[in-house]
Amino acid sequence: MSPVTEPHRVAVALIGNPNTGKSTLFGAISGIPQRVGNYPGVTVEMAVGEFTHAGRRWSLIDLPGTYSLAPRSPDEMVTVDALLGRTPAVPPPDLVVCVVAANNLERNFYLVSQVLELGLPLVVALSMVDLADAQGTTIDAPGLSIRLGVPVVPVQAHRGIGIEELKGAIARGAARPAPPPESPFPEPFQDEVRRLESLLASEQPINGACTIPRYLVERLLLDTSGYLHERLFQDCPLDGPGIKQALREARERLAENHCPVPEVETLARYSWVARTTQGLVAHPDEHRVTWGDRLDSVLTSRLWGSLFLALVMLLMFNAVFTWAKWPMDGIEALIGGASQRIEAALPEGPLRSLLIDGVISGIGAVVVFLPQIFILFLILTSLEECGYLARAAYIMDRLMARVGLSGKSFIPLLSSFACAIPGVMSTRVIEDRRDRLTTILIAPLMSCSARLPVYTLMIAAFIPERRLLGGMIGLQGLTLFALYLVGIVVAAAVALVLKRTLLRGAPPPFVMELPPYKWPSPRVVFRRMLERGWDFLRNAGTIIFAVSIVMWGALSYPRMSSGEAAPFLAERQRLESRLAAARGSGDAAEEEAIAAGLADVANWLEGAQKRQSLLGRAGRLIEPMVKPLGWDWRIGSAVIASFPAREVVVATLGVIFDVGKDAAEGDGSLRLGSALRAASWPQTGRPLFNIPVALSIMVFFALCAQCVSTLAVIGRETGSWTWPAFTFAYMTALAYLAAFLTYQVAMWVCG
Amino acid sequence: MRVSGQAVAVAERTKLVPLSLLRAGEKGRIGGVYGDGALVHRLREMGLHDGAMVHMVRPGSPCIIRLKGQSLGFRMDDVAHVLVQLGGASS
Repeated sequence: MSPVTEPHRVAVALIGNPNTGKSTLFGAISGIPQRVGNYPGVTVEMAVGEFTHAGRRWSLIDLPGTYSLAPRSPDEMVTVDALLGRTPAVPPPDLVVCVVAANNLERNFYLVSQVLELGLPLVVALSMVDLADAQGTTIDAPGLSIRLGVPVVPVQAHRGIGIEELKGAIARGAARPAPPPESPFPEPFQDEVRRLESLLASEQPINGACTIPRYLVERLLLDTSGYLHERLFQDCPLDGPGIKQALREARERLAENHCPVPEVETLARYSWVARTTQGLVAHPDEHRVTWGDRLDSVLTSRLWGSLFLALVMLLMFNAVFTWAKWPMDGIEALIGGASQRIEAALPEGPLRSLLIDGVISGIGAVVVFLPQIFILFLILTSLEECGYLARAAYIMDRLMARVGLSGKSFIPLLSSFACAIPGVMSTRVIEDRRDRLTTILIAPLMSCSARLPVYTLMIAAFIPERRLLGGMIGLQGLTLFALYLVGIVVAAAVALVLKRTLLRGAPPPFVMELPPYKWPSPRVVFRRMLERGWDFLRNAGTIIFAVSIVMWGALSYPRMSSGEAAPFLAERQRLESRLAAARGSGDAAEEEAIAAGLADVANWLEGAQKRQSLLGRAGRLIEPMVKPLGWDWRIGSAVIASFPAREVVVATLGVIFDVGKDAAEGDGSLRLGSALRAASWPQTGRPLFNIPVALSIMVFFALCAQCVSTLAVIGRETGSWTWPAFTFAYMTALAYLAAFLTYQVAMWVCG
Repeated sequence: MRVSGQAVAVAERTKLVPLSLLRAGEKGRIGGVYGDGALVHRLREMGLHDGAMVHMVRPGSPCIIRLKGQSLGFRMDDVAHVLVQLGGASS
């Protein structure tokens, strides 16, 4: 299965517990990965890198961090399949490097004992030796190497120490045949595995396509959840039910022989670990207080820890909004420049309109989010790498358990306040499927940064500037806060309902390693940031782009007939000739006034076209439906237009209310604000907008799923289109209901 | 609750106490883990095997325990019960 071009390339798999510095080691050996393996329906990623050593080229496969090689879910199966060379996504490994953290050797050796059974050459990379030193733990690496029969190489990847020695050990290990697999299990268990093996061999069809490696036979016996059985025999013509019967009988015999499944595994492996490390690993008699412990006594305390977390969150959001501002302005300027260039190069017509309002603005809508995603992941990955995120999850667990989730859901939800896309992507740390789904489904309810322009427009235009509580709080600020709160409260309610109905289950247990504090590795942080950005561009980007073009079509067609456009064109012609006259007479003030008049005509023309378009007609069609929310067809079509991406609503409102699509920029927002205040119902002449209408629009935007990118990412992360459809349906229904209630109650209160 | 009933029965027979009763600084040896099978196996894999020494760092729910050089944030509620044999006075 090795690539055709390079028959001699040797594949090395890198595996280890989480928080062992595995990613740092990967970076130190092979730099930035060449490619990342992705699997439909599975959320784990495997990066493949390359390095040259001793005149040969090697591939290095970075497998996801794991405590155990027991496949109980598709995610875990991918890792085991990759190690056993049973997946086409990565080359079958010729050798395994297992990263072992010295500060926690026993638990890391549990994984080593599993890897030893795979029958592949193994090299142990001993990391975190400095942390073990600080704890007072001493490890005899050469002694361990002799007892294990495989090289044990101490490495300090962030300082580049031990990397060459590790490469040397890899080269020597790959040249030797694999050691015979060593089983830590008691005799009765090994007998049962052999019996099962021969049963499977007798069932084996001649084509041999279903050969099951010994390690998986052993796992089959140990996996009482039934996942592996189903997985192995789903596309294999073996006698599944017969084997199930044989497994049941084998487990019964083992229970009688004092080898109960699955406890026999942890018992056997941890006693193997104890035998192997006996006399070679010495722990201090008394726990030595490290600076990490002192830090923890503050950061995990209920009062100081919560305050610190609040501070971190505040700084993070501030950074996401302020740091991202100038690159976002830069991107918008670039997009504007590109539009202008096309405008200059092409004559007016459908092609120019498609390129500028469809293609370029579509690309812009995608790329403009990159700075926020990069900055958010820069901060989150740094916090994760230094060990703080686990503490934040610990602090928040108590609160999250109230709505049926665990502390692990906190970080994804926190990220969603910036943008739900990275939020949904970061739910991968949650193992439990139901909790992960619940978290994904409520993440879009957090008020993301794209809702802010809508809130600011409506609040500035309609909420009176009034001070409350003796000037301490402004009514406008309070409204903004209330909108964020609406999202959180509704999310909590939805989580509670989901955990009692569709995704029924008790609050998940919370078991999370609080890894030792360390400095984040810039290389790892940078790599994750790039990966996330690329993920976003590839998944969300393509869909936003496609939808932008569709929306452009819906807003541009059908075109106005020449008869309908005639009055605007005549007015334009009149103004243009007056402009020429003013220029001739050198009247600068007159010239300026006429130019402004021309711009107004252009906006009227565009507005008339939009009203005439498919979208405008759709807006009229749904007017009866949105009237109970206090909206007319103009607000209705602006809202329809914002379903692909909510942030376009300000620009669409600008077009529909004849202010021009620059409403989102500069003083445009103020001009749009006064245009909205001036708008009225055509039949009665009563103002279209009042406080209840503004509130109902904002509540609708706070709760509605108006973001195709988020739905696309949910589709990718859940591996099905059911969940994005469900998210869309429930959020839109909730938004409609809440906007209706808001309008009716506010009308009643305002009289 | 079935799980706690089973754990209580074992606790009474063997003089083990629930992990949640440990105060800050107290130590104990794991004497048993009861509850949902898959979860119990996962906890065992993380190092909560019988005989392993646990050290209560921050009691409460969730608590923080230290276990052979690793710190774990830990909340079990009704899902599983960890019983320990009180070993050694508070250090």
